[in-house]
Amino acid sequence: MVTLNVNGVRHEVEAPGDTPLLYVLRNDLQLIGPQFGCGLAQCGACAVLIDGKEVRSCITALSSIAPNQEITTLEGLPARWAKQKGLSAEEAKNTLHPVQQAWIEEQTPQCGFCQNGMMIKATELLESNPNPSLAQIKEAFTTSGPSPNLCRCGTYVAIIEAVQHAATIMAKRS
Amino acid sequence: MATMSERPASTFGATLSRRQFVKAGGALVVGFSLVGPEFLKGDTAKPVVLKNSLDPTLLSSWIEIHPDNTVLIRTGKSDFGQGSTFTAYRQIVAEELSVPFEAITTVVQGTTDSTPDGSGAFDFLGHGTPNIRKAAAYTHQALLDLASEKLGVPKDKLSVKDGIVSGASKSISYGDLVKGQQLKLTIPVKGDLTSIFGLSIEGNPPMKPVSEYTVIGKSFKNSVISSKVAAKETWATDVRLPGMLHGRVVHPKTLGSTLVSAGQLDKAEFPNSRVIVKGNLVGVIAPTEWEAIQAAEQVAGGTKWTDWKGLPGNAKLYQHLREEADWTSAPVEKSKPSQGDVGPALASAHKKLSATYQLSYMKHAPIGPTMAVADVQRGGTVHIYTHNQNPQALRGEIAMMLGTTADHVIVHAYPGPGHYGRSNGGNAGAEDEAVLLSQAAGKPVRVQWMRADDMQWSTQSAAAFSDVQLALDEKGKLTGYQIDHYMPAMQDDRPIGAILAGLPTMPAPQVHSDGVTSTVNGIEDDWIYAGVANVLERGHGTFQVGQKASPLAVGLRDHSMRTPGQFQQNYPRELAINEAAALAGADAIQFRIDHAGEERAIGVLKAVRDASGWDTRPSPRPDAVSTGSALVRGRGVSLMLRSGTYWACVCQIAVSPATGKIVVEKYTVAADPGIVVNPMQLKRNVEGGAVMGISHALFEEVTFDESGITTDDWMSYPIPTMSDIPEIKVVLLNNPKVGTYGGGSEAANALAAPAIAAALHDATGKVMRRLPMKPAYVQATLKT
Repeated sequence: MVTLNVNGVRHEVEAPGDTPLLYVLRNDLQLIGPQFGCGLAQCGACAVLIDGKEVRSCITALSSIAPNQEITTLEGLPARWAKQKGLSAEEAKNTLHPVQQAWIEEQTPQCGFCQNGMMIKATELLESNPNPSLAQIKEAFTTSGPSPNLCRCGTYVAIIEAVQHAATIMAKRS
Repeated sequence: MATMSERPASTFGATLSRRQFVKAGGALVVGFSLVGPEFLKGDTAKPVVLKNSLDPTLLSSWIEIHPDNTVLIRTGKSDFGQGSTFTAYRQIVAEELSVPFEAITTVVQGTTDSTPDGSGAFDFLGHGTPNIRKAAAYTHQALLDLASEKLGVPKDKLSVKDGIVSGASKSISYGDLVKGQQLKLTIPVKGDLTSIFGLSIEGNPPMKPVSEYTVIGKSFKNSVISSKVAAKETWATDVRLPGMLHGRVVHPKTLGSTLVSAGQLDKAEFPNSRVIVKGNLVGVIAPTEWEAIQAAEQVAGGTKWTDWKGLPGNAKLYQHLREEADWTSAPVEKSKPSQGDVGPALASAHKKLSATYQLSYMKHAPIGPTMAVADVQRGGTVHIYTHNQNPQALRGEIAMMLGTTADHVIVHAYPGPGHYGRSNGGNAGAEDEAVLLSQAAGKPVRVQWMRADDMQWSTQSAAAFSDVQLALDEKGKLTGYQIDHYMPAMQDDRPIGAILAGLPTMPAPQVHSDGVTSTVNGIEDDWIYAGVANVLERGHGTFQVGQKASPLAVGLRDHSMRTPGQFQQNYPRELAINEAAALAGADAIQFRIDHAGEERAIGVLKAVRDASGWDTRPSPRPDAVSTGSALVRGRGVSLMLRSGTYWACVCQIAVSPATGKIVVEKYTVAADPGIVVNPMQLKRNVEGGAVMGISHALFEEVTFDESGITTDDWMSYPIPTMSDIPEIKVVLLNNPKVGTYGGGSEAANALAAPAIAAALHDATGKVMRRLPMKPAYVQATLKT
């Protein structure tokens, strides 16, 4: 039995300790934001935040995660933002994370399969650097993680514009 | 309520009857008739009516108008990020019906028992008249007929705005017109539902004049983006059925290996897993995904296959294609614009070029490997839940594999990773394997390919080479142009699991295969240079590499990929035209303008020249150098006509001759599709295509040895990262006088390669006639 703290909820999971987190999130907890892209930590489609840091759930064994570590999936981004901003429960219910809002307003995804990881990476970046330069955005999505975050549809321009837009939204609300 | 009329009204080939009335609700249902008057005039075979499809005369619907003034549309096309079904289709229907965009509240797509027309996720805009536009136009006419009768006002005195029909001081909403009635409008349709092209609506209903457009041309947002971003969309990868098992497939050791013996499972370690063997198909099923992965690894380790070495290896690919491939069995295709006599033009040329251009195999490389859930119900229907670009065609292939009819197969379509054409012919890879494992297990099975399966066992974009000869006169005019395109069959729609299991499939590509799966190499690249007097374009086709040698009849299976065939033909042409301009001492854009016949081609060239800051002069630049470690810069241009859209692209690059590394600094593209339906969506599609094009040009090459494909992950098959992308500038030329809308999700990916190669020539004075332009290959070229 493994204890996981995901999106503010504690879960007891019956799975071998070497099971990659991705399969538990998707198959046991029905958290389907993270996607299986390569199983090799080479693309970023499976990314989640653990204590605010982007990790690749496809190679992260359950046994490597402590019960008190906070796992945030795409589904948990709105609540994460609401908590950070002290929004009321009612406000929080109707609020997307500014990163998600920007992703919609900029019409960023094409097929959208990689965009979970892109939004997780953007959240990690903007929480530590609220006003990143173009070079810093490129650095974040290319060299800061285990591998570059890859998009086969080629939406990088739209991602950059969405990160910049999200930064503007976040600045207005702080 | 009494029957208003038993008499069918006929308009523009459609037949409206109002025989049935319901107490409440009601909807105008536009179905299609297979025995419509237009259809019967033709000599086309009658399309087969399938169970588990929308009933063609009663239940099948393209468009429903509801009493609350909302509208539902259905299309066999599946969205893979183009956004067309959620934006352009709604805009087109809203426009033809004169209702607000927001009135179209529901888009049903893909799933085989709830959509009418089939076909693949390509050519969404149907050269300006997709099926859904005709369906909407027919609906509009029917609603006008109804309103005319109801209001007692002649049809030609009626007008519609925001779904309200008005005339002679009277008005009624569409909702009120259909309230309490169930109306059937039958329209003529032809085609084959489970073929790659599906069904098409016939007849010529009047369309709304472009001058009256109010919805088309605006940047409406794509509704599915919101649900995907909020993790509220159900993807194919999310489908879980009761009792479902997880499956993995152990694919053969080589592309020609047969099974000697399947590996065993250590039951102590994997008590709940099971090995399934059918012919050369080896699968493993388990209750959990992690167990399935680990058990499959164990089975793979113990499975014995025969060896096979029937491929040339990528180092000898072009030698193999040139010297050993059979180019004689398929008839040579000649393009329609071929004219004059190139021979004398070459004989009397002031300057000549004779050159060969080569493109490697490339993968579709979806960011998520293919997967499917199948539920084979005993004695009943086979259900497949997957991401697929042509669910109706998949349905036909699965039925063929199982020796049943398509009536027994339903394909449920869900969003999935874009795969850029790979399943347009019906299968992406795992669907048939899921069906076979489910059949053996007696339970639903989810087969997920791993990254290596997807790289090594999927189809690929065909390699090709082209020989060009061209002639210039003393004034620098292109007087003769001859191009011979050589490409193995570019589309193999056989499901791989069915092949491995030894079950029925359509034939491997051969001369007389149907349409796109034939070995015949048609001319796909529309000729734009009408100013050239002597032109000869020929296509030479052959079998897939390894197809005949492989005991499995597998080899390097090809499949159409974004801008298929045309990419393989436009790259050599456009690079050769750049070389011709250089030989003529002319500026490459001006040279094209001087030879192009069409105003729209000249329009995009001038637009891209202005937008890119192009400096008009011949290439190479006066200070071009091909040695040293200092960066040298250059620019090049390319031109294409595809699906009614004219495209011109300029790439500005920096290259280090010492390392051979090319960096694209700016990509500028101008597109004239006629009417721009949705500027924001088109711009995003083009930006994505631009990045993929840079990837094709600089990074992508399938490597293979004598046995199989050796690229197996993102390290061995790199694609661009965010740091690899240039400044991208998209210029959309809205050209309403064209009166139609051209396609936009293809072409942008094909334009980069010839423009970058021309830029390399501009910077260094050396021409590289091979893709991809990887640093090592660039270095080798610069040393020549």
